[in-house]
Amino acid sequence: MLIRQLSVFLENRQGKFAEIARLLGNNNINMKAFTVSESDDFGIARIIVEREKIDTAYNLLKSHSYAVSIHQVNYLNSPNKPGTMAIAMEELSKAGVSIEYMYAFADDDSHNSHLVIRTNNDELANRILSEL
Amino acid sequence: MIWNSKIECMSREEMRVLQGEKLKKIVAHAYQNSPFYKARFDEHGVKPEDIQTIDDIVKLPFTTKQDLRDNYPFNMLAVPMSEIVRLHASSGTTGKPIVVGYTEKDLDNWTEGVARCLTAYGLDKSDMVQVSYGYGLFTGGLGAHAGVQKIGAVALPTSSGNTEKQLQLMQDFGSTAIACTPSYALYMTEEIRKRNIDMNNIKLKVGVFGAEPWTNNMRKELEEKLNIKAYDIYGLTEISGPGVGGECECQNGTHLWEDLFYPEIVDPVTLQPVAPGEKGELVFTTLDKWGMPMIRYRTRDLTSLNYEKCACGRTAVRMSKIMGRSDDMMIIRGVNVFPSQVESILLEFPEYEPYFFIEVDRVNNTDTFVIQVEVKPEYYTDQINQLIKLRQRLASRIQSVIGIQPDIKIVEPNTIERSTGKAKRAIDHRKFE
Ligand SMILES: [Zn+2]
Repeated sequence: MLIRQLSVFLENRQGKFAEIARLLGNNNINMKAFTVSESDDFGIARIIVEREKIDTAYNLLKSHSYAVSIHQVNYLNSPNKPGTMAIAMEELSKAGVSIEYMYAFADDDSHNSHLVIRTNNDELANRILSEL
Repeated sequence: MIWNSKIECMSREEMRVLQGEKLKKIVAHAYQNSPFYKARFDEHGVKPEDIQTIDDIVKLPFTTKQDLRDNYPFNMLAVPMSEIVRLHASSGTTGKPIVVGYTEKDLDNWTEGVARCLTAYGLDKSDMVQVSYGYGLFTGGLGAHAGVQKIGAVALPTSSGNTEKQLQLMQDFGSTAIACTPSYALYMTEEIRKRNIDMNNIKLKVGVFGAEPWTNNMRKELEEKLNIKAYDIYGLTEISGPGVGGECECQNGTHLWEDLFYPEIVDPVTLQPVAPGEKGELVFTTLDKWGMPMIRYRTRDLTSLNYEKCACGRTAVRMSKIMGRSDDMMIIRGVNVFPSQVESILLEFPEYEPYFFIEVDRVNNTDTFVIQVEVKPEYYTDQINQLIKLRQRLASRIQSVIGIQPDIKIVEPNTIERSTGKAKRAIDHRKFE
């Protein structure tokens, strides 16, 4: 399924990400998952929060002058067992969908793994993944 | 309409003859009556006899704003104070102000320049011009005022400020034109909107905008919001004041009144004249100003001149928009770089905010050239490659225009100082000792 993800532009300054984490935490917003990807002198933090809090998080970051945007990404919730991810990748590749980035995170009880997948065609990827 | 068609539409050859005759006279006057110019000319080994035609102007030394400061207040005058009928002064942002003295004839010539501008904007004696430039030591108010009266229109001397009253009188009296800085005009449009003033009650048709650089975007905004035609009026206190030149109905360059104010474009580094049409620093010689002649005065404004006849019928040379100042030029890896060039390139990209900050340093004997920019909120993305590509496009564009490759550093929103105009837009950490 498609879910919404927050992306925040970060100049590569130490402590920047901690600042964001603290800001969200102080406002009772939990980060369910995050990843930071970096180039030579800037990075982009991608953050998943509880669905009902994403707009609050967005406005909060915006009001603190962060360059924040919301994008739709594919979200795959699969049993935490070998092979699931490989099958998903194969199906996407067969359909000509290429992956821009992806990251995984585990549940608290670790029975499920969660995948966030951003592709060059997220609508098509969504259809393929939901038929798995 | 044309105020002085004999002069404004004179053939280029006739104009150069006229300029040569006037130059000869004013140079002789300056040499004989101003100790400053006598000393300066002697130092450069040039005598009034060396000046026979306008082409000889290149033999003359330049004058600068520093000369005006050094000779504060009256050392540059070329007539006794008894001949001076008015003084203006410009508030110096650094150090002493500069003072300019005018004879009766100087004021007439200045007013003639303003009258030519106003007529080129389509104004005549049926108009009422609200003069919202400041009246006082600043040349804007009194300069524009005299021109308005000269063409027989009604001058409404509101001066600057007190916007509420300005807008009230504008409606009650039916002003057909407003003369002010473009930024004050934009402020007025805001006030009109806030006060819910019915635009049917505003009869403006022309805006006479100057005293600060402005962009075509500002022109568009002012024309749409005020339902006017917005025209540039150019001038500077050192040369006389507003009315050194102005746009015509074609809005395709600012005509300069070159029988009074002779313009040259020189390379700001070598000080040699550039080829016609090329960009460089604007230099003026006042050909008919007797109280305080200015000979080859370096304005520090960067622009270019177009000598082709204009569609309006005038032959008077046209100056393009001021593209920046030569005094903030930096030489990086041997290449001349003007912050204004970076600005105009940035404006080509819808993805970037129009703000930037240049940082220059020298590391291992190589100059570094870093430009901080901000991306507009709607162009931030979750994909790092898109930002890298966007950054590369800007770097390539700057490389192709300026000739050296910058490091583009995308910074977080609102980190670059916002004020326009005099904002510091560059810092040079290199030490040259
Ligand atoms: Zn014209």
